[in-house]
Amino acid sequence: MTENMIICRCEEVTYKALVETANQYNCSARELKLRTRAGMGYCGGRTCRHMVDKMAADLTITKQTDITLKYQPPIRPISFGHLGADES
Amino acid sequence: MNDVIMIGAGPAGISAAISCAQKGLEVLVLDEYLEAGGRLLGQLYEEPNGSWWNGISESDKLHRQAMNLGVQFELNTPVNNIEKLGDHWIIYTENKTLSTNHLLLATGAAESPVPVPGWTLPGVMSVGAAQVMTNVHRVKPGERGVIIGVNVLSSAIAMELKLAGVDIACMALPKMNAITNQQAHPKKVLDSLLHVSHMAPSQFVKMGSKLMKNDFMKKLGVSFYPKNGVTMWDIPIQLRKAVVNIYGNKQVEGVTLANIDTNGDLVAGSEENVATDFVCIAGGLYPLTELAAVADCPFYLIEELGGYVPLHNEKMETPLNGLFVAGNITGIEGAKVAIAQGTTAGLSIAQHAGVDGLEDEIKESIQVVEETRDNAYIQFHPKVKKGRKKVQDRWGNYVGTVSD
Repeated sequence: MTENMIICRCEEVTYKALVETANQYNCSARELKLRTRAGMGYCGGRTCRHMVDKMAADLTITKQTDITLKYQPPIRPISFGHLGADES
Repeated sequence: MNDVIMIGAGPAGISAAISCAQKGLEVLVLDEYLEAGGRLLGQLYEEPNGSWWNGISESDKLHRQAMNLGVQFELNTPVNNIEKLGDHWIIYTENKTLSTNHLLLATGAAESPVPVPGWTLPGVMSVGAAQVMTNVHRVKPGERGVIIGVNVLSSAIAMELKLAGVDIACMALPKMNAITNQQAHPKKVLDSLLHVSHMAPSQFVKMGSKLMKNDFMKKLGVSFYPKNGVTMWDIPIQLRKAVVNIYGNKQVEGVTLANIDTNGDLVAGSEENVATDFVCIAGGLYPLTELAAVADCPFYLIEELGGYVPLHNEKMETPLNGLFVAGNITGIEGAKVAIAQGTTAGLSIAQHAGVDGLEDEIKESIQVVEETRDNAYIQFHPKVKKGRKKVQDRWGNYVGTVSD
């Protein structure tokens, strides 16, 4: 049951996929994200970011000064129309 | 262009707006929610002196005071990006782009999820969402729920749900996995609850906390933890049971509970089903720092403050010129501390904007923040003062390296 549990809803990435990838590649949170696409969906990782972080944290030394997964604008979902809208 | 823009209309943002407006600045407050007040809106609890702290009326008071001083509010307005252009901060929202010389980030906190099999079913929500539904929108999240995750926030909200006539079947721990870890460990959960035991009306919990002064006694406390849990406000709190599954066809119909040992490991064959129509997951709060991150503010990971916090000093300045922070973005604490920090931030901004003679007032306001922290009824982390000290030390180091 735990294996099939969804962690990233947007990209439908399971707990099992994350655990296996983390173990196989002994990877950082960023690499775990890029390999599985967890946190790369529509919501921008707003829900699963910390879970992806935690699953990689045991394998890497957490840097106190670096945020492991980068934040990029737009930080809230916005339509392409609004994003590139001409204000005039 | 506004003199000042506050992002976040919670207790910190509004109180900062009030202190800026009192010094003659033109202030605009933005918030993504449809009402002013932020997380304060959901709060309702009895204070030690017997009076009630009602978040809706407290929010209303702050909001009205700000409006009377001429503060403008734009609600329903999410900010999706900020950037520095010359001396200006540019703020991007869906419908327009704003600019200011002084920007306050008072974005508050967000809740950590608790992944348990079935947590993606409709009817599962964060405990804060259940609080907002009940206290702000006056809609029952369901008739009978289970809360997964036992901590300060979930205990306080369980009591609020109870007051609203919502039945809570029990509070229990999540099943242990690579993510739930600490929140699934009975002894660690008990440790984290001991410093708030004064909130518990149950004599058992009060007596228990006195007995459990040292680790050995704490372990005993968990070992001999009653099979049926301890009740608080008639809600069974199960530290020796974990939710292993949330089940239902298309929506929540119940949870499967199993007994766990003192380390959080499952006792095989102890599973039982509990019927519910909603489930709350409670993973605690962390500072909501996205905008400080896109602005490239330096960060530090400080566990006592709930996660990564943007570097700041006691005057609530960040190392970025014209960027200020206040409230839970600087660390998880109660609304009263946020209000006090907001006042300091507002005065600091006014000083930056050229208002003279504020130094003493700022010092006093920093004193008030500390006093408020010392007198706080609820502390989210027992070592919050240690966490605050760490930030100040980091600031000292950072300023030192930059000027060298």
